[in-house]
Amino acid sequence: MAEVEFDQASRIYTPGAKPAVNRLDLIIDDGEFVVLVGPSGSGKSTALRMLAGLEEIDAGQIRIGGKNMVGVASRDRDIAMVFQNYALYPNKTVGENMAFPLKMRGVDKAVQQEKVKAAADILGLTDYLDRKPRALSGGQRQRVAMGRAIVREPQVFLMDEPLSNLDAKMRVSTRTEIAAMQRRLGVTTVYVTHDQVEAMTMGDRVALLKDGALQQFATPAELYDKPANVFVAGFIGSPAMNLFTLPVGAEGVRIGSSDLALPGSLHSRISSAGQDTITLGIRPEQWAVGGDNGDGAGGVKAQVDVVEELGSDAFLYAHLDDEKQTPVVVRSAGRSGARRGDQIALTPTSEDLHLFSPETGERL
Amino acid sequence: MTVTAERPAEVTPRRPDRGPGSRADGWIRRAPLLPALIFTIIITQLPFLFTIYYSLQSWNLVRPGSRQFVGLDNYVKVFTDSQFRQVALNTVLLTAGAVIFSMILGLLFALLLDRAFFGRGFIRTLLITPFLITPVAAALLWKTVLFDPTYGLINFVLSPFGAGQTDWISTFPLTSVMIALVWQWAPFMMLLTLAGLQSQPHDVLEAARVDGAGTFAVFREVTIPHLRRFIELGLVLGAIYLVNTFDAIYMMTQGGPGTASANLPFYIYQRAFLGFDIGQSAAMGVVVVVATIIVSTFALRLIFRSFSGEES
Ligand SMILES: Nc1ncnc2c1ncn2[C@@H]1O[C@H](COP(=O)(O)OP(=O)(O)OP(=O)(O)O)[C@@H](O)[C@H]1O
Ligand SMILES: [Mg+2]
Repeated sequence: MAEVEFDQASRIYTPGAKPAVNRLDLIIDDGEFVVLVGPSGSGKSTALRMLAGLEEIDAGQIRIGGKNMVGVASRDRDIAMVFQNYALYPNKTVGENMAFPLKMRGVDKAVQQEKVKAAADILGLTDYLDRKPRALSGGQRQRVAMGRAIVREPQVFLMDEPLSNLDAKMRVSTRTEIAAMQRRLGVTTVYVTHDQVEAMTMGDRVALLKDGALQQFATPAELYDKPANVFVAGFIGSPAMNLFTLPVGAEGVRIGSSDLALPGSLHSRISSAGQDTITLGIRPEQWAVGGDNGDGAGGVKAQVDVVEELGSDAFLYAHLDDEKQTPVVVRSAGRSGARRGDQIALTPTSEDLHLFSPETGERL
Repeated sequence: MTVTAERPAEVTPRRPDRGPGSRADGWIRRAPLLPALIFTIIITQLPFLFTIYYSLQSWNLVRPGSRQFVGLDNYVKVFTDSQFRQVALNTVLLTAGAVIFSMILGLLFALLLDRAFFGRGFIRTLLITPFLITPVAAALLWKTVLFDPTYGLINFVLSPFGAGQTDWISTFPLTSVMIALVWQWAPFMMLLTLAGLQSQPHDVLEAARVDGAGTFAVFREVTIPHLRRFIELGLVLGAIYLVNTFDAIYMMTQGGPGTASANLPFYIYQRAFLGFDIGQSAAMGVVVVVATIIVSTFALRLIFRSFSGEES
């Protein structure tokens, strides 16, 4: 078990090109489950492969358990990796696949058997030990790949989108199993995904990357409640946060045709920032919906375009009645009776609205 | 509300004599191919039947009028002919040696080419060239340019070391022929194994490295099992082709000295067209065909087994 540290680590595939991973700084505690998340091409896999020793570290350092890994071969790093397509050895049986890392380390045959059996028990693979991978379902292959990683008892687990080839239901159940198993084994884990639900549910902490650069490294709750910049705010949460860049008025901000009075504490935050425009972020659930009947007086007027009824609640996709017809998403109670074309009035319910600088995108 | 699941109807396999896929239907589909099949049978199987017929006769062209039916006499002679056995052994040695050494060499070249380096395309073309040369020209090249005792490059290169006097072809006839064949066939094996190497999934190789395998262990545990079917295919195809080697022997050694470098096709040719013993050579031909069928049945079974999705 070990602490993992990225220290200004960079990877530049082609000299002169933009780095695929740009000065990444992460300190991952011993036993922690960290998720790397970000849009496609943001450098998640590259960062993981640098840690695995499958990509060069062109600048900076990566340390495992305090030891610098620059120039250290994969096999000397004491890590185990689960690949997106599982990368099982097609000519070996399930048992041989799982025993392979032990065999390569010269572990005694009897001990190999014992560990493989124990892992197979945990993963429910006991009946399949003599099969070749091609005779397994996708979910079973995924388990074999997990098994091959856990028999090793490595310092660090690395997983690159291990669930992306499973169907939605399997993905949910396997997600929980992986998280539970990691807690039980207590092995430091770095997990790559582009699925924010996986990121939010599995990770102790989540590192969000964009274009190879770290945007924020925090607990899921903090990521949601205090996004460090506009990109994080827009990436985390589904449907995404509503972001408006608005002129600042005397009592609040001007949104569409109406003045939106902001709670006092927020307004003082704006004035102290000294901005005359501001990027305001409001999550769909931070709106209260009023109808035409006057209970939403003082709110922002909008017209409903689409109602997404989810049972317990509903999402209203609407547009403001300003000249740009800015789209806005609102969560309301389920079966509220809202229909396409309805006029609604929206008021922010919470004081925890998000304020960002329009120039830098940073949180204020 | 109660829902009663209907019992699924028994699944009955389709009757083979009706509907699409049935026997009659199959013949209708095959009918347009029949002329080609009949033509093939006429030009390949009829000569074979004639050969069997000749093999039962004593018939030497230089003794006209002596032709007569002798039953299995020719076959008895074939099996008691020590030269025939020597030549059969030569055939096995030449074929197996050439196939195995060209595979080893081809695999080494393929491993070298399976990485990026400056001028790879050019080197690859150079390495393939021997395979594109006419076999007769290749044999001549080896005989005159390389192995010749007086003008040959090999002796020229060796002469500073005081070992430039060997007449390679007379001293090591079978080996010389084998070397020329290996030179021609290594590129073929290289192409096959290179295709195999480049079709290896990268992530499996990476997984092996992460799992603690060094370069050699990756090769032994992952690459070789993956290449197995490509190697088997190369060995079988090479053997099928090389067992019939004629041009190299004809050009380089004429099977000599004696029968030291003759293989079966060459020996049968000698008996038929230099010795004019039609009966004897027909019997040898039949024996060779039967032996080939037996061997190639096993060889083809091997290929089909490794390509029928045994691994994937
Ligand atoms: N072998 C390579 N050579 C050159 N550029 C590469 C190579 N591999 C990746 N890149 C580039 O590096 C950047 C990061 O790629 P990476 O695979 O790490 O993205 P990712 O975050 O894992 O994306 P995804 O979610 O699609 O897997 C991309 O812009 C990609 O084009
Ligand atoms: Mg990736």
